[in-house]
Amino acid sequence: MNLFKKIITYRPSFTVRILAGLVGFLAMLSVCTIVGISDIGALGERDINFKARSIEAGARTYAEQCARCHGLDGKGIEANGPTLSHISFVGKSEETIGANNVLGSKDVTKSTRLTQLGWTGSLVNYVRGVVAAGIPIKSAADWETIHPTFSQAYGGNLREDEVNNVSNYVANWALAPYESDDVVMPPEPGTGGAPRPTAVPLSAEQEKGKELVVSLGCNACHAIRGVMNGAVGPNMTNIATIAEGKVTDEQYKANVKDQPVATTAEEYIVQSIYHPNAYIEPQCPQGACAAGIMPQTYEQSIPAADFTALVSYLLTLK
Amino acid sequence: MAIVGQKLVQQLKTTGLKATLAQRLDDGFTRFTSGLSWNDVRGVLRGDPAPRPNTRVKPHTEGFWFHIRPSFYHEAVTALYPTFRLGFLSAWIFVLEIITGIFLMIFYTPSPGAAYPNMIDIMTNVPFGKFMRDLHRLGAEAMVVIVTLHMWRTFVTASYKKPRQFTWFTGVLLLIITMFLSFSGYLLPWDQLAFWAVTIGTSMADAAPLAGPTINVLLRGAPEIGAGGLLRFYLMHVLLFPLIGVVFVAVHYYKVVRFGISLPPEMEAVGEDTARKVTPDKRVNFMPDILTNELMYVAVAFAILAISTVTWYAGAPLENHANPLVTPQHTVAPWYFYWLQGLIKIPHIFPFFPSDWGITASIDGFFANVLGLTPKTLWGIVIPPLVILLLVVVPYIDPNPSRRYADRKVAITLGVLFELLILYLTLGGRPQGVPVTGFGDVRGDPATEVAQDFIPDEGESIIKAIPYDQLVVGTHEVVEDLNVPDAPELNTVVHELRDEMIKKMQLSDPAKKLSNDATATLAVTQLQDNLKSVLLTINYTDAEGTAKQFTKGAWVHKDAGHAE
Repeated sequence: MNLFKKIITYRPSFTVRILAGLVGFLAMLSVCTIVGISDIGALGERDINFKARSIEAGARTYAEQCARCHGLDGKGIEANGPTLSHISFVGKSEETIGANNVLGSKDVTKSTRLTQLGWTGSLVNYVRGVVAAGIPIKSAADWETIHPTFSQAYGGNLREDEVNNVSNYVANWALAPYESDDVVMPPEPGTGGAPRPTAVPLSAEQEKGKELVVSLGCNACHAIRGVMNGAVGPNMTNIATIAEGKVTDEQYKANVKDQPVATTAEEYIVQSIYHPNAYIEPQCPQGACAAGIMPQTYEQSIPAADFTALVSYLLTLK
Repeated sequence: MAIVGQKLVQQLKTTGLKATLAQRLDDGFTRFTSGLSWNDVRGVLRGDPAPRPNTRVKPHTEGFWFHIRPSFYHEAVTALYPTFRLGFLSAWIFVLEIITGIFLMIFYTPSPGAAYPNMIDIMTNVPFGKFMRDLHRLGAEAMVVIVTLHMWRTFVTASYKKPRQFTWFTGVLLLIITMFLSFSGYLLPWDQLAFWAVTIGTSMADAAPLAGPTINVLLRGAPEIGAGGLLRFYLMHVLLFPLIGVVFVAVHYYKVVRFGISLPPEMEAVGEDTARKVTPDKRVNFMPDILTNELMYVAVAFAILAISTVTWYAGAPLENHANPLVTPQHTVAPWYFYWLQGLIKIPHIFPFFPSDWGITASIDGFFANVLGLTPKTLWGIVIPPLVILLLVVVPYIDPNPSRRYADRKVAITLGVLFELLILYLTLGGRPQGVPVTGFGDVRGDPATEVAQDFIPDEGESIIKAIPYDQLVVGTHEVVEDLNVPDAPELNTVVHELRDEMIKKMQLSDPAKKLSNDATATLAVTQLQDNLKSVLLTINYTDAEGTAKQFTKGAWVHKDAGHAE
C-alpha cells in the first residue's frame, strides 16, 4: 500500500523528466527506424502471404463454382468442360505464386492453347476474362453449354475479388501441370474436337427441319449440341440413335401407355412429338422427367410438310 | 520600407553582421513563441528559476496555444494522483489517431471494390503502412480504455460534483463519441470481421421502435450494408465524429481550465471547491514544470504504444473479403460493445427468478401482450440509452456534498457494482459466455464448435497454423497417440483435437455435448504443387440418436504465412 502511495504521489524531478522524455522520444524514433528498415523485406513477404491466401480463397471458389464442369482436379469433365490443369492450357512455370502474377514468375513452357487462340496477354488475364465475362459464342460447339459469365458485372454471382482469386488458383496449376493425356481436351479452335451431329451433310428438306427445331420452339426445352441449348427436356443430340435403341428396349415397351409400341426409330420420334405422354423418359437435365410438360397439340399445329422435314432432320442425329 | 532598411543598415553599422543576425533571428523566434526569446526557452528546458519579471507568462497572455493552458497548476494535482493524466492522454491519443488516420486516408478509397485491395496494399506496398494501421487500431482501442478509465477516476474522486456537472456531461458525450469513432472505423477494412460486426451493430438500431428502420437505412444507405453504407461510415469516421469530437474536447477542456483541476478530496473541506484558490506557495508554473512533465508523459506514452504495436500487439486483423452471403460462425461486435451483446442475451424481462418457476414466463407474457415489450427490445433498445442517461444524471442525483472517500461508501459501492455488472455482461457478450454461470453461452452443435475452435473460416486457425511440411498428405484418424513421423505439430494438434472432443463429451448440457462414440479424421490432400486442402470429418450421434457427419475444410498454401 505504501509503495502504491509512493508511486501515485511521485513527482519526477526536472532531470528525470527531461531524461525520461528523451528516452521515450528516442525509443519512438528507434521503433520507427526498425519498422522502416524491416519493411524493406517485410513488404515483399507479406505480399507473397496475401497472394498465397488469394490462391487459398480461390480454391474454395473453384470447388464451389468451377469443379462441377472442370473437375476438382482440373482435368475436365467429358461434354461439360475442358481441362484447366493440363500443360497445354496453363503451360509450365517454376517457383512462382499465382503464375504470371507475381515477381519471379518464370515460364518454362508457354501455353499452346493460348497461342492457338491468338491470345497475346498473360494466362491469368485470359482466365480472369473468361471467368468474369464467359465465352459468349459457341466457338467450340461440343460443350453442352457456353461458358457462363461469373462476374457480377456480367450478371454472374462472383465479386471482383473472387474472380481474381479463382483466376490465381487456376494459373497456379502451371507449377505442376498434368502432362499425360488422360484429360478432357478442348476442341481445336473453330473446328470442334468431338464429332458433331450437324457435321453430316443435310438435304434441303433436312436443312428445313433444322430451322424448324428452332422456329417451332423446341429449343426452349431441348438441346442439340451445336444447335440449341434447352435444359428442361431430354437432350436430342443423338436422338436417332436413342430412338433406335428404344424400339428394342424392354423398359420402353413395358411403359408405353394408350399408344401402340413403336417398332422403328421414326415411329418412336413421331410418337414422342404427337403423344408426348405415351412414354416418359426417366432422366432429364434437371432430374426426373415429368409428364404433361411438353405440349400435346403438335399433331394439330404442325403442317404435314413441316413435320416430315422435322422428323427427317431428327433422324440424322445419330 | 525605406525606414526599415535604414534601421537595419544602422544596426549593421553599429553591432556588425553576426550580432545583427542573432538579434533578428531571436526577434523572429520571440514572435513565434509569443514572447519567449531563445534564452528564455533555453532556461525553461534547463530548469532555471523564472526570471523576474516572469517573461514565461507571456505566451499564456499573448499566444493561442498557451492561452488555452493555465499559467500555473496547484501543486496537489501535479503528481500522478489524482488525475493520472488520463484526460490529457485521451486528448493526445486523439491527436495520434488523427495523424495515423490521415496517413491511412492517403491509401484508402471507401468503395466496396477498392477498400479491401487497398488494405492489402497498405500492408504489402506502403512503407510503414502496416505499422500505421496497427498503431491506429491500437490507439483506437487504447482511447476507449483510457477515456473509460478517465471517467471512472472522475467518479471515484467525485470530481463531477458542483461546479463540474456540465464538464462531466460533456465527458459522457466524449465517451460516446470515442466509441462511435472506434465503431465507425471498424467497417472500413471491408473484411468479414468488419462487415458482420457492423451489421450486428446497426441491426440494433433497426430493432428500435418507430424510427429504428429509418435510422438503419440512414446509417447503411440501404437495407443492407453496401457501397452506400461504406461511404457513410467513412464520412462519419473521418469527418462527422472527429468534428464533433474536436468541438466537445474544446468545450470540455474550457470547463476544466475555467474550474481548475479538482484537488484530491482529502485536501478540501466538505462542500468547498478550492481548485482556483491557489496560494502563491502552492503554485507550480506551467513553464517549465508542467510543460516538461507533459512532454515526458506524451513521449513515454507514445513510445509504449509504438513498442506495443511491434511487439505484443497482434496487429489489426484482416480477414477474408466481406461477403454478405456468408455469416461467419460466432460473429461478434467489437469488444467494447460486448456488454451490449450481453444485454441482448438476457432472456427475460425480469431475469432474477429461476426460469422454471413459471413466474418469469408470466411476466414476459404480460409485458409482450399488454405493452408490446419483448425482453430483446427492453434490454437491447430501452436499457442502453437509460444507462447513458444514468451516467449523465450522476452529478445531479448524488445528494452527498462531500467528496471524501469515507463519506461516499454508498456511491463508490454502487459504482463498483455497476462496473462489475458491465464486466459480467461483457463476459456474457462473448460466444462462450460467462464461465461458471454459463450466461450468454450461445455455442451450439458440438461438432460445429470443435471445428470452429480448430478450423474456422475466419480468424486464427490452429490447423492452418501447422507448418506446411508437417501437413502430411493422407487421412489421419483423430486419436490420442497419432504418431506421424516428422510431423510433431500435426501430432500435437490432433492430440489437442481429441482432448477437445473428449471434453465436449463430458459436458452436462445435452445440446452442447458430443456423443461418446464420436470419431474424427483429418484428411490432407495435395491439391496443387504448393496447395493442400485439409478436411475435418466428425462422425457422431446426435441427441435424437441419428448418426451424423460433420465436415469442414480449409486450404493451406505453402507461402500463406499462417504458421508465423
